[in-house]
Amino acid sequence: MVTKTEETQLNQLEIQVENGGGGAWEYLSLVRKLKLRRSENVLKHGSSILNDPRKRSALGPDEWTLYEQVAIAAMDCQCVDVAQKCIKVLQKNFPGSKRVGRLEGLLLESKGLWGEAEEAYSSLLEDNPLDQAIHKRRVAISKALGKPSVAIELLNKYLELFMADHDAWRELAELYLSLQMYKQAAFCYEELILSQPIVPLYHLAYADVLYTIGGIENLISARKYYAATIDLTGGKNTRALLGICLCASAIAQLSKGRNKEDKDATAAPELNFLAAAAVEKEYRQKAPAKVQLISSVLRSLKI
Amino acid sequence: MNLGFVVGVFGVLILSHAAYSTIQYRGLLKIMEEEFSRPPMNVILELIIGLALCMWAALTFPGKFLSIHPDSDENRAVSLPDSSEFMIFNHRGRLFPPEIDMKF
Repeated sequence: MVTKTEETQLNQLEIQVENGGGGAWEYLSLVRKLKLRRSENVLKHGSSILNDPRKRSALGPDEWTLYEQVAIAAMDCQCVDVAQKCIKVLQKNFPGSKRVGRLEGLLLESKGLWGEAEEAYSSLLEDNPLDQAIHKRRVAISKALGKPSVAIELLNKYLELFMADHDAWRELAELYLSLQMYKQAAFCYEELILSQPIVPLYHLAYADVLYTIGGIENLISARKYYAATIDLTGGKNTRALLGICLCASAIAQLSKGRNKEDKDATAAPELNFLAAAAVEKEYRQKAPAKVQLISSVLRSLKI
Repeated sequence: MNLGFVVGVFGVLILSHAAYSTIQYRGLLKIMEEEFSRPPMNVILELIIGLALCMWAALTFPGKFLSIHPDSDENRAVSLPDSSEFMIFNHRGRLFPPEIDMKF
């Protein structure tokens, strides 16, 4: 979970490094800590550190972590020879290492040789059948080959063994969403909310899925989870605020045929009003040119 | 050192002086064979002054306090980490490799 201070720090460092100021190593460490995917920047600045033998020896034992980070970034940017060189250096210093073996498998994947990559991973799994990262790479291979059902099957088997892996549950939820299996995706998000109730973005994703499935009970639950997200982010999440407005209009439309008491029980007029006011305030602060647009949209939603 | 540290040391010295005075007072009462109900008024005044100085120093010396609310403006979650363990490499970006030369 990336917090606001970390995000501002990251943006500052990025601007500083792009404009030629120092701080490349701090930027790379922050990207590694927050597990972000900034492959071009990592490749550019990481290779500039590695090309300079003085800076390279100044890193000490962190040099190998940097080699690994640059190798993965190079594979993501399709600079295969850069990745090959990094892996060769690592192999020379750590022969027979499983971590380097995983990097070699990644290199085969990035070249597009899925069969050889699968074989490399199976041989690594024979020595070490409970290696989490290798299982996940096999799921990624099926995903890259365009077989999401195979990927889902493998991921389900993995999750039977390692039920506490949040990234895997998130990945499974996204795979289900790509296949439009919304109820299963909702189940995955429920697992995530159960294990980490403080992260507001899981509540937001769950509310989105419930809103998509539709039906009046799901819409009421979706509104509750949007409200929970607003609570956990201190009201700064625009998507959750808009979600409440949309839920309100959808609930009003669906409950048109019902009698008066039911309608009064499900409507939450103060909540809708407050959410709409908060959205307008945010737009006035951040995008004043679009305030007219959002006001007209909100007005049409009320009707 | 800065003012907070000096004030803190002062506060601790005043408190220890108050403790020493109370022990001496108890010794005096033992000689006079009276009961010890509470320390004398000046010692109590000294204690209150020492408390105020130590509290002020404890709040100013450590520097800026960090927020602990999970929904404060600094601590709120902005995004989740990108799933780097499941990342795939056959995306559209592979048609535009950047120009990097490696000298090692």
